[in-house]
Amino acid sequence: MQHFVLEQALNFLIQNGDINLKPLDQKIIRFSLKDLPLEVDFVCTNNRIFVVNDINNVSDVDIKLTANVFFALFKGEDLTDLLKQDKIIIHGDVKTAQLLVDMLQAVDIDAEEILSQYTGDIVAHEIGKITGKIKKITQESSNPLEALKDSVSNFLINPSVSKTYKNNKH
Amino acid sequence: MDNTTHFGFKDVATEDKQGMVRGVFDSVASKYDLMNDVLSFGAHRLWKRYTIASSNVKTGDKVLDIAGGTGDLAIEFRKKVGDSGQVILSDINAAMLGEGRKNLTNKGIFGVDFVQLNAQYLPFKDNTFDCISIAFGLRNVTDKDQALREMHRILKPGGCLLILEFSTTDSEFLKKFYDFYSFNIMPKLGEIIADDKDSYQYLAESIRKHPDQETLKDMVLEAGFGFCEYHNLSGGIVALHKGIKA
Ligand SMILES: C[S@@+](CC[C@H](N)C(=O)[O-])C[C@H]1O[C@@H](n2cnc3c(N)ncnc32)[C@H](O)[C@@H]1O
Repeated sequence: MQHFVLEQALNFLIQNGDINLKPLDQKIIRFSLKDLPLEVDFVCTNNRIFVVNDINNVSDVDIKLTANVFFALFKGEDLTDLLKQDKIIIHGDVKTAQLLVDMLQAVDIDAEEILSQYTGDIVAHEIGKITGKIKKITQESSNPLEALKDSVSNFLINPSVSKTYKNNKH
Repeated sequence: MDNTTHFGFKDVATEDKQGMVRGVFDSVASKYDLMNDVLSFGAHRLWKRYTIASSNVKTGDKVLDIAGGTGDLAIEFRKKVGDSGQVILSDINAAMLGEGRKNLTNKGIFGVDFVQLNAQYLPFKDNTFDCISIAFGLRNVTDKDQALREMHRILKPGGCLLILEFSTTDSEFLKKFYDFYSFNIMPKLGEIIADDKDSYQYLAESIRKHPDQETLKDMVLEAGFGFCEYHNLSGGIVALHKGIKA
């Protein structure tokens, strides 16, 4: 669900020209949180971003951080500052990481809400807040209502967290 | 080599299955949309909406909907890709495609191309499509692995495959309810509304024979896709698999 919201929001921005994805083409950027069982891969390809969860593919950049630092990034905290303070560890090209972080900050999504699934169930009023954010993003859209309906239908169906691991039977 | 396959719970000669599936959809075509709404309590619309939202399809994209039937997905994809894009609604069955054409015209949707094809043999060049979808169709295909390899071949690198299909629920309660519903109520409703008990008996059986979530995910990866993840919908009664060509 959190992947879905992020993916929708990022691709909305890409489609509306606010983000140039060319420098990130064919890159896989992995965020791993040290204190939550969460790993998110941002796969940049074919002019769009897929937000998936796949530990078996090799990533170009690995970003390790705590949940708090992750939230701070979304709130506009400077990546270089966080790097200097050793609050974030990056393996791979820092410039690529910076590009993605810029993008996440542009999305203006409340990461704490998105991650609340990992700290407990999302309750109804939080759902409202997330769709509110999407609404904000889609204000310029020719069809904001559709974008909203898409995200709301997701909650009605209530999909569980996906399992993606290649050759990893549960 | 074993040249039998399943048609619902029956074993039939592999070369006969496609014709038998055609018989089912010839028979249900005219009542298909009504039956879908009744049998799923309208939920198929939500499952499809989620599929479209997950597709990442945008203006200018080329999309192929396989086993597209009456065109629910094609209609929404057409709205997303705009005039600069292309949507192809395809199905093996002429009667279902005919219903699709009627449906689109009635809804004022134009600019969708129609192609009659078998999912196992896709008459397109390599690396053609940004997105391929198949909703409630894969379980009817005789050689699913071959169909998946074909889909992989004609997707562009970075292209996305969406498979929406009935699947397996972990919940004992849902399982019991669902078994009772599909083997007792579904064929009965098929008989009352569409005067066709056998086709709906087949549909119920074919759902049980379809690979579960993990097996299908492995099949998608085996066909060459770089990523595959799935989301359970309605407790796993339905699952959406999303594969990305690396
Ligand atoms: C249950 S309907 C689904 C229609 C539509 N996608 C929907 O979700 O409403 C299954 C469709 O699969 C088609 N089909 C069956 N076997 C096929 C094959 N081998 N290749 C392409 N289409 C096939 C049938 O003709 C039928 O229209």
